[in-house]
Amino acid sequence: MFLKDYITDVYKAVRSLLTGMKKTGYYFVHPSEIITQQYPENRHDLNLPERFRGEVVMSHDENNEHACTGCTACELACPNGTIKIITKFDITPEGKKKKAIDTFIYHLELCTMCNLCVQACPTDAIKMSQKFEHSVYDRSRLTKKLNQPGSKIREGVE
Amino acid sequence: MFSLAHITQIIHDWLYSSFDPTLALIIECAIVILVAIGIFAVLGLVLVLMERKVAAHIQIRLGPNRVGPGGMFQTVADTLKLIMKEGLTPDLADKFLFNLAPFLVMIVAMLLLAPIAFAKGVQIWDINIGVLYISAVSSLSVIGILMAGWASNNKYSLLGAMRSGAQIVSYELSAGFSILTIVVLTGSLRLSDIIASQENGWWIFKGHIPVIIAFILFIIAATAETNRAPFDLAEAESELTAGFHTEYSGMRFALFFLAEYINIFIVCAIGATLFLGGWMPLHIGGWEGFNHLMDYIPSSFWFIGKTFFLIFLIMWFRWTFPRLRVDQLLNLEWKYLLPISLINLLLVTVIAIMGWYF
Amino acid sequence: MNAHAIIFYLISAFLLGTGILSVTTKKIFRSAIWLLFSLVGIASLYFWMEVEFVAAVQIIVYVGGIVILIIFSIFLTQQSGKEMPGPGLLRTVFSLLAVLFGAGFCCMLINEYGFTQLPGNQFSVAVADIGTQMLSTAEHGFVLPFEVVSMLLLGAMIGCIVIAMKSKEAKNKGVLENEQEAVGTVISSQQNNTL
Ligand code: SF4
Ligand code: SF4
Repeated sequence: MFLKDYITDVYKAVRSLLTGMKKTGYYFVHPSEIITQQYPENRHDLNLPERFRGEVVMSHDENNEHACTGCTACELACPNGTIKIITKFDITPEGKKKKAIDTFIYHLELCTMCNLCVQACPTDAIKMSQKFEHSVYDRSRLTKKLNQPGSKIREGVE
Repeated sequence: MFSLAHITQIIHDWLYSSFDPTLALIIECAIVILVAIGIFAVLGLVLVLMERKVAAHIQIRLGPNRVGPGGMFQTVADTLKLIMKEGLTPDLADKFLFNLAPFLVMIVAMLLLAPIAFAKGVQIWDINIGVLYISAVSSLSVIGILMAGWASNNKYSLLGAMRSGAQIVSYELSAGFSILTIVVLTGSLRLSDIIASQENGWWIFKGHIPVIIAFILFIIAATAETNRAPFDLAEAESELTAGFHTEYSGMRFALFFLAEYINIFIVCAIGATLFLGGWMPLHIGGWEGFNHLMDYIPSSFWFIGKTFFLIFLIMWFRWTFPRLRVDQLLNLEWKYLLPISLINLLLVTVIAIMGWYF
Repeated sequence: MNAHAIIFYLISAFLLGTGILSVTTKKIFRSAIWLLFSLVGIASLYFWMEVEFVAAVQIIVYVGGIVILIIFSIFLTQQSGKEMPGPGLLRTVFSLLAVLFGAGFCCMLINEYGFTQLPGNQFSVAVADIGTQMLSTAEHGFVLPFEVVSMLLLGAMIGCIVIAMKSKEAKNKGVLENEQEAVGTVISSQQNNTL
């Protein structure tokens, strides 16, 4: 009985080790699997994985319209206090006051790219972009305003 | 045909014809030492680069690729950097032993190079107890490690040294036993005899199952004796920063680093000699034509090829397996490797007596 | 004096020097290292005599085995890095006397009998011969001492295992204690957290 356990132990151990070696050996002989990017050289045809997160951006369409309602859900969701939403009140054609976004302030230097704000947004106004070359000479330039000047909320987005 | 033995013979003859014997002997010694140091340097550079490349490819990376074509000169640049760095000595260290340790490790590695046959007829010292000499001298390298660990006056170093000591002392047993299987089959300790006995086939084929088991045991024990992952408890970056060489920097660190790779080369060379026939080309008993064809490949190529195959195997282990815990390490040796190698040795003895090998 | 003799004197000087250092140094670890060098010196003397097998055994047994054990026990002792106090006057005197006596005794022996050059190479250096001699039952065979030594080693080994072995109850108890300890630490850490 003891001997049987012993031999099965050895067998299992060897088998599991060989499984591991098979995997790494496969990688070794398949250079096409290599994921390293030769960054500065291939700057123009970088092949970034889809899930890579570079910074938070607000998408604007061709009419310079975005989908942000100024609900501040993203500001509340952010664990780092990266986002600051400044709201204003627009007057709608019917003469009603309506909350709208004035400035979407985004502190890139505080952001951990955790994606929580994007998930929190009810109107998908913001998303993560893949731009990652963020280095600047002055820290103040990392504080960005995400809504473009003169932009307004798209019709029909509540 | 290209042959190293030829070249050495020419040099030897020329020296003895132009100088008197004592002087010629001294010059020869000097040449041998210079060549050995040259081999060391080249091996260090090549092996470190190879390790990094193998590691990178196994981990789906590219590895060093900036210095020179394909990163070929990366290790040269690293060496230059290490040479120019300041060698610090900790304040309360035992200065003498601290400085002695890396050289001791290096000298042991150099001594181990002596009986290795690099090609047909190219061997520094064909000592008649070759295999025993190797296992004796290799047990000295642990002294250097213990010395370094103790003299650094650092608890990480000391722990690393203790672990390494326990590890090397215990794995020496199964390494010794697996070497003994070949000695039993050959009936000689001399390395040239062992190679000659593989004229009609390497032992790993001739000796079938028990020799294959011995080979696996040898590779495991050799990996452990060279303190390499998965047996790198002596260094264990995540636990002991760098183990016994935590306090070393600059050239002395480079010596430790170099000695590690030289030791890998040496154990692999010994494994290749014992199990894969050393410089002996692939011969199959009875197939004359085939054997002649194989003889056209120079013996030094065979030796280098086999050795680097084993080195690659060991590197493959390193980048695949996770590190063992201390208790697992000792369990593996005392509960698995040692009993298996004892039984295996018995089996081989029976096979050798009955002549049940090819 | 030829090169052979010069090498002999060099090795001997190294051996004696390290031997003296190993007994005079005040740091215990260094003492072990000097001892190691002196043993390596003996091994190189064997190499010089071309009895390689004995030299290799010397290295394996003394350097690779005994000195490592000594070093390990030094590591496990306290204050191994401190300078030890020197020996007292009495001890110095007596050890000097012992050394003098030993040296005198050796000189006397050499005076009495001298060195005689033996004809030919007296050493049978082939390892196979040593092995055969070890197991030979003929006259001058060593099979009896060999077997006695193996019995001794077997006894030592069994003794070690018995010392290291835990009896069943002790084992269970140990496990239980460990568990209780673990539970205890969990509870106390929880208390700490709540505090
Ligand atoms: S990605 Fe995370 S850290 Fe960055 S702004 Fe969004 S919620 Fe904040
Ligand atoms: S970006 Fe989305 S979550 Fe943030 S304020 Fe605008 S609508 Fe709300």
